Amino acid sequence: MIELKATGINKSFYAPERFQVLNNISFEITRGEFISITGKSGCGKSTLLYILSTMDTDYEGTLELGGELVTGKGQRELAAFRNARLGFVFQFHYLLPDFTCLNNVMIPGLRLGKLSRKEVEHNAYEKLKLLGVGDQALKRASRISGGQQQRVAIARALINNPDIIMGDEPTGNLDTRNTEIVFEMLNKLSLEEQKTIITVTHDKDFASRSNRIIEMSDGAIINQQKR
Amino acid sequence: MNLQINSEIAFTYLVARKKQTLVASLGVMFGISMYIFMNSLISGTNEYFEKMTLSSTPHIRLYKDHETSNSAMLDQSIGDSTVNLIVNPRLIKSDDRLINPVGLVQFIRSVSSVTAASPQVTATVICSNGTVQSNGVVSGIDIIEQDKMFDITSTMIAGSVKDLYINPNGIIIGSVMAHNLNINLEDDVTVTASNGSVKVLHVVGIFQTTIKNVDQTKCYSNVSVVQQLLKKDRGYITDIYINIKDHNEANVVASSIAKVTGYNVETWQSANEQAIAARTIRDTIANSVVVTILLVAGFGIYNILNMMIYEKIKEIAILKATGFAGQHVISIFIIQALLIGMIGVVAGLGFGWLVSKTVSMIYIGKGNLEYLPVSFYAKHYVQGSAFGILTAFFAGYIPAVRASDVDPVQIIRG
Ligand SMILES: Nc1ncnc2c1ncn2[C@@H]1O[C@H](COP(=O)(O)OP(=O)(O)OP(=O)(O)O)[C@@H](O)[C@H]1O
Ligand SMILES: [Mg+2]
Repeated sequence: MIELKATGINKSFYAPERFQVLNNISFEITRGEFISITGKSGCGKSTLLYILSTMDTDYEGTLELGGELVTGKGQRELAAFRNARLGFVFQFHYLLPDFTCLNNVMIPGLRLGKLSRKEVEHNAYEKLKLLGVGDQALKRASRISGGQQQRVAIARALINNPDIIMGDEPTGNLDTRNTEIVFEMLNKLSLEEQKTIITVTHDKDFASRSNRIIEMSDGAIINQQKR
Repeated sequence: MNLQINSEIAFTYLVARKKQTLVASLGVMFGISMYIFMNSLISGTNEYFEKMTLSSTPHIRLYKDHETSNSAMLDQSIGDSTVNLIVNPRLIKSDDRLINPVGLVQFIRSVSSVTAASPQVTATVICSNGTVQSNGVVSGIDIIEQDKMFDITSTMIAGSVKDLYINPNGIIIGSVMAHNLNINLEDDVTVTASNGSVKVLHVVGIFQTTIKNVDQTKCYSNVSVVQQLLKKDRGYITDIYINIKDHNEANVVASSIAKVTGYNVETWQSANEQAIAARTIRDTIANSVVVTILLVAGFGIYNILNMMIYEKIKEIAILKATGFAGQHVISIFIIQALLIGMIGVVAGLGFGWLVSKTVSMIYIGKGNLEYLPVSFYAKHYVQGSAFGILTAFFAGYIPAVRASDVDPVQIIRG
């Protein structure tokens, strides 16, 4: 089953002058696939990911997620969609500094409101433990290291058990051991729970172990190699 | 809409920025407490002056005015074949008596909103004790009815109003006159009217209103005494004082009585227009102060929330990225504003009461005003709270909408 289908995606920035970042991007991802997007710095990987994650709605072309056309949907609908079906890890692992790590992870779960507070809290703890930051749960998010923040951000992306998980260099700040933990975790999700994983990465090793590498250059896909 | 998580976030932000929260709440607090205090003081003052006014002015006074000469008689005798004009018309010197006063009083008492009606006749006199003299004005009244209106009993420092009722030749005088003439209770005083008639009256009571002019000149006696002083008959009554249930209705009741009886009426408001004007001025001053303070408090909240949103723009982007819609963001910041408002209101209610209480204990001791008049009405506290919450809401609304417009991609891209 096709989880994600992008057709003819174009995006330009107009400041300071017209500059086309994405050039006619089309591809499909089936459910349960683990995709790596690679390419030189500035080639448009993050820009593409923001579009795929429904946050950026200012583009040409169409995007279907889970068989549903999301292009042209309203902001409110998209917010609800992101909340329930998408997990996102930002390049600079943004957490809410006034909240504890645990609360940071819980907030999207509480927003969804499907589970009771207790259950959400339990799940959040589990995710944090899996990522090796269970002991940081009650610390304020501003009081932990960058690598720990990144792992908390991953836990947050997973809290609502989303169908699609996107990461913009989710392991960018991690040492080999923790990178391994995160990779195994994502791999397991794609294998056992049929979650679709899309990560932007500079880590060649990480990329080569995923199902497919999409290589970009100057806003276009130049190569897709299946493993 | 799942409000709980929104309030939780709002609450966390409030606690994380204790100082800003405190400053914003203080603004609201001062707004509310000033609202309560100003209103309590102004309404206390208004009530005080109203009470003062109504202690010497009836709600409605019924009397007969002199008439200006008109051409009615000419028309009758010459006929209307010519236009009859009187050049330089004069006031007709007519008797200012009310016709059939007993019937009038009976009619007035039958009006449902009337609580008291007291017929009067007044004479300007000279009171003397031996060779010492003092000017005075004697009101011939039904003392029982008059007491109902003005609570003369409460101002009595010697004797009682009942003694006047019992003693047909009695008189009640003010404390200053008593002092000037060196008269005590049970003494006699000689009263001389302008037409030369003299009566010796027995002092059965002394009152003190603390309004010097009144205590120096005003005297109460029975109607018949004053009629005799004026050399008039037993039916001579010039004024009827009327009190009604709600003194604010005076104008309505007065005009209906005027219509039926055909006499002139004067309400306490028109008899004391300067007092009504003063009241309007006081209200205006108080309202402008209160509005200014609430506005300042509103700007305080607006500023602090605006600043907070500027600081938290990244976090707002994260919330939106993880599934918070614009309406959720609005509700977070409005809840925050309302929480600030509520803290301010609670503190303001207490502080407003405290200030009012403190001011009400400031000793003045001038005339019959012992302490500053401050009223305590639940109404002012409820209104103050409502205004505080409303101010907070509107002050929070604009920044909240701005926050909800944040485009997450733009922020996260950096
Ligand atoms: N807001 C913007 N306005 C104008 N140009 C932009 C804007 N954001 C990004 N760009 C340009 O778009 C191009 C792609 O940026 P993008 O962030 O997608 O790169 P990237 O592939 O993610 O790079 P990196 O690997 O360094 O994260 C860059 O050349 C950048 O200069
Ligand atoms: Mg990038």
